[in-house]
Amino acid sequence: MVTIAMLTGFILILMGLYGALTNHNILRMIVSFSVANTGVNIVLVAVGYIHGRTAPILNEAVPAAEAAARIIDPVPQALVLTAIVIGLGITTLMLAYAYKLYEMKGSLDISKFSELKW
Amino acid sequence: MVNAIFIIVIGLGTAFLLGLLRETWRHTAYAVMLAALAVMAWIAVRWLLFFAVDGAAPVDILTAGTAPPFAINLRLGITEAVLMVLVIVCGLLSAVYMKESLLRLGRRAMSVLLVFIMALCGIIMTRDLFNLFVFFELVVIATAGLILLSENKQALTAGFKYLIISQMVSIFLLIGIIFTYHTTGTLNIDGMAGTSADMLKGAGSLAFFLMLMAVLIEAKPFPANGWALDIYESAHPAFSALFSAAMAGAAAVYAVDKLLLITGPEWLPAVTAIGLISFVAANLLALAQSSDRRTLGYSSVGQVGLILVVIGQRDILGDQYLYIAGGILLSHAIAKAGLYWISGLLSQRDLTAWSALRGHPLLIFAFISFIAMLSGLPPFPSFYAKWELFMALAVEGRLWIMGFILFGALLEASYLFRWFGYILKRETAEEHKDAQILSLAPHKLVVILTAVVVGWGLAYVWGEISVYSNLLYALPLLFALSFVLLDWLPAWIKNTVVIAGMVAYFVVTYPLYDPLQLIFAVIFLLGGAVIFLASYHAHGRRIGFYPSAMLMFAGLSMLIVAEDSFHFFAAWEFLTIGSYFLIIRGKHSEPHALSYLVFSLGGAFLILAGFVVAAQGVQLFNLESLSQVAAPLAPWVFLLLAIGFMTKTAVMGLHIWLPGAHAEAETDVSPMVSGILLKAGLFGIMILLMNMGKQQLYGVELTYIMLWIGALSAFLGNLMAAFQEDAKRLLAYSSIGQMGYALFGLALMNQLGWMMAMMFVINHYIYKSMLFLSVGGVAKRTGTREMYQMGGLIALMPLSFIAVLIGIIAVSGVPPLSGFGGRWIFYNAIMSSEYRLPMILIFLSGPIAFLYLFRLIHTIFLGQLKDEHRKLKEAPFWILLPQMIYVAALMVFALVPGLALRKVDAYLNPFFTDHGLNWEGLTITSDYGYWSPVSIMIVIAVIFGVLFAWLLFVNRKAQKVKQFNIVYSAERPFRPETTHFAWNFYAPYRKAMGFLMQPLVTRFWAAVTDLLHTLADLVRRFYTGNGQTYAIQLLAFVIIVYLFKMEF
Repeated sequence: MVTIAMLTGFILILMGLYGALTNHNILRMIVSFSVANTGVNIVLVAVGYIHGRTAPILNEAVPAAEAAARIIDPVPQALVLTAIVIGLGITTLMLAYAYKLYEMKGSLDISKFSELKW
Repeated sequence: MVNAIFIIVIGLGTAFLLGLLRETWRHTAYAVMLAALAVMAWIAVRWLLFFAVDGAAPVDILTAGTAPPFAINLRLGITEAVLMVLVIVCGLLSAVYMKESLLRLGRRAMSVLLVFIMALCGIIMTRDLFNLFVFFELVVIATAGLILLSENKQALTAGFKYLIISQMVSIFLLIGIIFTYHTTGTLNIDGMAGTSADMLKGAGSLAFFLMLMAVLIEAKPFPANGWALDIYESAHPAFSALFSAAMAGAAAVYAVDKLLLITGPEWLPAVTAIGLISFVAANLLALAQSSDRRTLGYSSVGQVGLILVVIGQRDILGDQYLYIAGGILLSHAIAKAGLYWISGLLSQRDLTAWSALRGHPLLIFAFISFIAMLSGLPPFPSFYAKWELFMALAVEGRLWIMGFILFGALLEASYLFRWFGYILKRETAEEHKDAQILSLAPHKLVVILTAVVVGWGLAYVWGEISVYSNLLYALPLLFALSFVLLDWLPAWIKNTVVIAGMVAYFVVTYPLYDPLQLIFAVIFLLGGAVIFLASYHAHGRRIGFYPSAMLMFAGLSMLIVAEDSFHFFAAWEFLTIGSYFLIIRGKHSEPHALSYLVFSLGGAFLILAGFVVAAQGVQLFNLESLSQVAAPLAPWVFLLLAIGFMTKTAVMGLHIWLPGAHAEAETDVSPMVSGILLKAGLFGIMILLMNMGKQQLYGVELTYIMLWIGALSAFLGNLMAAFQEDAKRLLAYSSIGQMGYALFGLALMNQLGWMMAMMFVINHYIYKSMLFLSVGGVAKRTGTREMYQMGGLIALMPLSFIAVLIGIIAVSGVPPLSGFGGRWIFYNAIMSSEYRLPMILIFLSGPIAFLYLFRLIHTIFLGQLKDEHRKLKEAPFWILLPQMIYVAALMVFALVPGLALRKVDAYLNPFFTDHGLNWEGLTITSDYGYWSPVSIMIVIAVIFGVLFAWLLFVNRKAQKVKQFNIVYSAERPFRPETTHFAWNFYAPYRKAMGFLMQPLVTRFWAAVTDLLHTLADLVRRFYTGNGQTYAIQLLAFVIIVYLFKMEF
């Protein structure tokens, strides 16, 4: 289970990177990065998962005293939430940039925006 | 003490608070933001003082009421405090600077700026890896917003490229963090560093590698940094300042430093290599730039690379680590921010457009201070830092790192000082356009001047905490710097102060000198004062002349009394920089001054290398200890130092800077840089030879090579002088020859050789200063330096004629003047040595000297007066006065050379086995004969008097003729030009010896320069400008580094 999740995650990351590095269209690049981000998030969660344990929520089902033995690692879960939020922020920013870039040149081809160089 | 977490709280809180304000209350929002930054700065400064003054231990700041690793903790020690003060103050100043842009864009932009600063502080303080990630992402988002403050439309594309890169970085960072967490079970940096090293093997090692790469890329190493250069070029200059000084130069490198705590020394070599490549490559590529902000971007990449090198070498730096890293980091931050802020005053992006700064001494002073900080010149922190860094590297034998750094630093100094040349010398399109290129807003100027003041303040602080005495306490240097403040006074007042100051300093320090030092002190201080008499001829304020000249003389006077290598080298740098500023004042001296500077700094770096290799970690390395350097190192030390010093004396091969630099300089500057400055090189060689003596490298006697170099310089220098048309260039080439003689004498390594060199030191000062002044005076009156355009000036400028006549008698070494004394000692010296072949060269160069000396008198003063010169007057009084003093001095020195030399002779006695001269009475005796200056003078005077009287007697009935009362071949000449032909005077000799005159050396150095420029221009095309290419390059960079790491 963990292996499958991890594998999926890494495949998504590689797919995303491949897409981002080969597509010239800015929107496609952004989508590719989103795919890669999703992969990263899956990997994060997968690392924290321990087979046969429950969610790290302390209630009647999981009293605090037994928590250490019964819950999965809560840290990656907390991390993944933050990572998702930040990923969302960056993706939004990129989309806003894409919009402005399109206004500037009337094109979304990344290779058209290379006046700054050397 | 306020909890430092309030820095984060205030930054973030105010950013949100600004969102509550009305959109139209822009000024209120601006004030709130400034207030927030000011409070943050105040907190950071308080903590800094707490650590620095009270010496407190670092404190941990816990969050969520829980200790780490269960909650995030921040740490605040002196390093963090320094960096945060840097970040926040830089942010505050940039916010002031960007006032218009921020007001235009309103409160949102201001919140973003606050978030940016806050996040940088977070990166600096946090000890938690994931927290580090969060702050980095905040920086990314804030950067993407702040880039848009720029008026340059292209900033948009740069921002997007940055977002692409940051996506890649965040993927690496997250994967790295989670797997490092997985292996070590903690996110706390100190916790990880505490776990055993085995845990970070295999997959754990790969995870750490990804994390390190992600953070490293934020520090913008070559070649994965195209995006950063684009940002530097297009963003608002005040943001570029922040991005370079605070983000890359402080936060990112400190994050690298923290990460490296986890693995100990394992990754240090990799970081060193990456930093070193960045430093050299970025500075190389900067050579080919023409845009100011992109140049600064390259320089920024280079400097951050240098900081990475320091981080990579921290295992050998010990206690000095923070001092070194801090010195380089803070110098870079202030200088780079300052330069970016200045660039914001200009509306054009070409480097040459900076000539609009000309006429604004304050801004030029700021520029000079900034480039001096970047180049690591004294007295700035980077100077102390580099010295200590090299000391440590030399002890460990990591000399190749030192070599690369010095090479990169030389490249960097070349383009920075080339830029300075543009400012002073390039024409702006039209004078009235200046107003449009340069806009001086008061608040921007305040920001720039704050940076200057802070820079000098840090120079003081670094001097205070160094193990050496603070350079800023040196009296000569303070005297020189005071002229920066006094520059508004008229020139004649400053000139009087200068002369009085130099004489007074000599009188006060007189008891300190031993005989050898005394000779140099007399030449440097009193001799300098005499030349300054000529400076009275200048009118107005002569802005910039006195600080530069005094800087040079400060360096010279510190050089002779320097006891340890550090102060010697600092003095050397001062005199180099001062003389550069003097030389570049000449009308056409821009390229010559640059080549002078590049050669001099190259030489200085060799000297630096020689000293630190010799010192082997001994911090106060006495110059006398040079004699105790052990066998395998000694010849190399000797070689480095000797080449360094010989650059200054302009020996053949390293001479190409001299003719232009000396000839194009102003009338009173030429004697200073020729008559006085060249002696610094000889002084260095004397110190070297006196302490290290003869050294052998692979069985070759190094002094023997020096002997040959001296002989060749004497021969070729004189030969080239003979073929010059320009009188000042002739004198300049003649200096190469004269220095060759002196070098030859020193390299003989016997007492007579040294006496002869001393004789040359004194003589060359007197006659070369005199000749440069006479020729300068003549050039001033005639408006040309080409000798063939002159002629017959004897009647119009009799005093200049007398000076030149006496001068050439002295140079040529015929009796009765002191030049003869020099020759006499010299012939005695070579009689007692076995070097026959170089001796022949030296003999040959004597007659050649006659050739060029004859031209000086014949072409300028004799022959036919040219029509356009009929109404010329004698040279100005103040230029003549020192010449007359020199005539008197030559006479006195010719009569009683013992006055100066007998003490030196006695002083040198213990150093050599052969005995010197006998100074009984007025006669000087050697093993081979005797020399009686007084009787020679009397004999010559009598013969001259008799002949002169006889001439007057036989000519008493002579008839006066007018200029054209002559007939050639039944043809009456009608123009003076036809009777006084002096162009290409020695054409037959040129035919015979011209093959020796091929400018091979010049061609060689031109080829080197071309090669570097072509290489730079080729390599920089690697940055295609395409964001996707940058991403691929980044990926390739990461993979290549990994492969290398696996290999080694």
